[in-house]
Amino acid sequence: MSQEKNAPKNIPEEVERFNIIFRIQHIIMFTTFLLLSFTGWGLKYAEVDVSSWWIRVWGGPETAGIIHRVAGVTMLLDFTWHVLYIIYLFIKGRIRFDTRTTVIPLPKDVKDVIHNFLYFIGIAKTKPKFGRFNYAQKFDYWAVFWGMFIIGFSGFALAFPMVVSYIIPEFTTGWIWQVLAIMHSDEALLAIVFILFWHFYNEHLKPEVFPMSWIWLTGRISTEELKHKHPLEYEVIFQEGERGGKGALNAE
Amino acid sequence: MKLITTLSIVCMIILGAAGQAAPADISSCLVCHNTMSGTVTTESGEKVNLRVDAAKFEQSVHGFMSCTECHKRFDENPHVAPSQAMPPEVAEMSEKVSAKAHVDPVALGACAGCHEEIYNEVLSSPHGENIVKKHERDGALCLDCHGSPHYIARADSKDSPVNHWKVVETCGRCHGDRELAAKYNIETNVLTSYTESFHGKKHHLGHRKAPTCVNCHGSHSIKRKDDPSSPVFAANKKQTCGKCHSGANDKFVAAITHKPVGPIPHYVEKGLILLTLGTFAFIILHVILEAYSDIRDSLFRKKRRSVKDESGKECA
Repeated sequence: MSQEKNAPKNIPEEVERFNIIFRIQHIIMFTTFLLLSFTGWGLKYAEVDVSSWWIRVWGGPETAGIIHRVAGVTMLLDFTWHVLYIIYLFIKGRIRFDTRTTVIPLPKDVKDVIHNFLYFIGIAKTKPKFGRFNYAQKFDYWAVFWGMFIIGFSGFALAFPMVVSYIIPEFTTGWIWQVLAIMHSDEALLAIVFILFWHFYNEHLKPEVFPMSWIWLTGRISTEELKHKHPLEYEVIFQEGERGGKGALNAE
Repeated sequence: MKLITTLSIVCMIILGAAGQAAPADISSCLVCHNTMSGTVTTESGEKVNLRVDAAKFEQSVHGFMSCTECHKRFDENPHVAPSQAMPPEVAEMSEKVSAKAHVDPVALGACAGCHEEIYNEVLSSPHGENIVKKHERDGALCLDCHGSPHYIARADSKDSPVNHWKVVETCGRCHGDRELAAKYNIETNVLTSYTESFHGKKHHLGHRKAPTCVNCHGSHSIKRKDDPSSPVFAANKKQTCGKCHSGANDKFVAAITHKPVGPIPHYVEKGLILLTLGTFAFIILHVILEAYSDIRDSLFRKKRRSVKDESGKECA
């Protein structure tokens, strides 16, 4: 806010980081994620006594099972919607590849990790300059993809085993079901741990964002924050003047 | 012992007074047996609990019956044996199951008086065979699964050891027993593999339709898994699984097995655990170091940070 007066006229106070569609996709993603985690946790640790109580909180095993399946399918649909939407935006030219704004991991991200660690321990004097997505955010984003393929696919197979039984090759039947169950349950645990420690720290607990970054609701980021946290993206938007403020940010 | 003898005499007097009317013996026997406590040792060395809880007995499915309908004849006790004709099926059954009977083979065989068909199914199953053919004590007859003879509850009642919620534990009393498993070469991991399966987990959480042992393996007429008439014999699995999963095919029925985890799932799991631990280690290290640097910066580098902010570049 302090910079408001100093800011040039063509630089707005805040810019849109995520449009309404991305925000809806995120809300569906975390709602279903929470439902899946809560109901799945009880099943994974069924032998623990408190699990029986916990599952009763969710309406008993029959209802919890329905919640888990509906949430799972919804999440897969949400994911599919996101991927199709990205492809659509790309075809329409509303997003384009730029090393400073892409969410795709690049060698720079590895350098940034090392650079950041050096900063943490006091060797580097400055933090790395991030693009639109820093490596922590890219990690967050692609973790969902990993989860969708591993947990989503195995979950679909476990929810609709009869359908999947026609697809799986004969020679796998001796072990595939156990592998699917292990994949689903172990990777779900990884996902929960990841969200609890990585996402929660970075987007909720970190002093600068506590109690949470509000971008998920407003979709907007202040220009000042953008300059601090995503200096390379700031350059793309305001210094090169390529696409003029909002346009480039509207999309990815 | 003295007390018991005295009580027995009291009982006999009452019994004698009650005459021959069959149902009357319930009250007369229970006058004593309802109040007794402790055990006595019979001539053959068995410890017998003499207490019969009258109220519980009357609540049981057999509460309408009189004592002597099962205790038709008893040799090893201080009572005068009631002299009544032994139905041939009971006599025959008593003879067959005598190896199992701890105290009263006649009473153990007496179930056949009403449940002869099911009794014979049990005797021709591996549970009964061991007793009838090999004259071993191990093996399950009526009471081993259905509980104390005087308090048998309907299989679907909450007190029955064979109801949906308790039957797994009941089967597990023998099928989780290492000594029995070693003696008869029984698989020992059936219980653990069930508990870890989706069926077992759902059952433990209170799923009313989650299958238990008996839903797949059968009950009275249970067979060995390599017996072609067993519902879990390879060729019958499709039909058995199909009871719940209509359209079950060969690839589908492979999903449920008591077999131990094979090498592929084992190493997949190890790999995933490694991945989880690796990710976790990275995350924790990152979060802790970042928190540390944030604290350090706010304490010692405030000045530099604000200076750089003013210049608009290189903000920390």
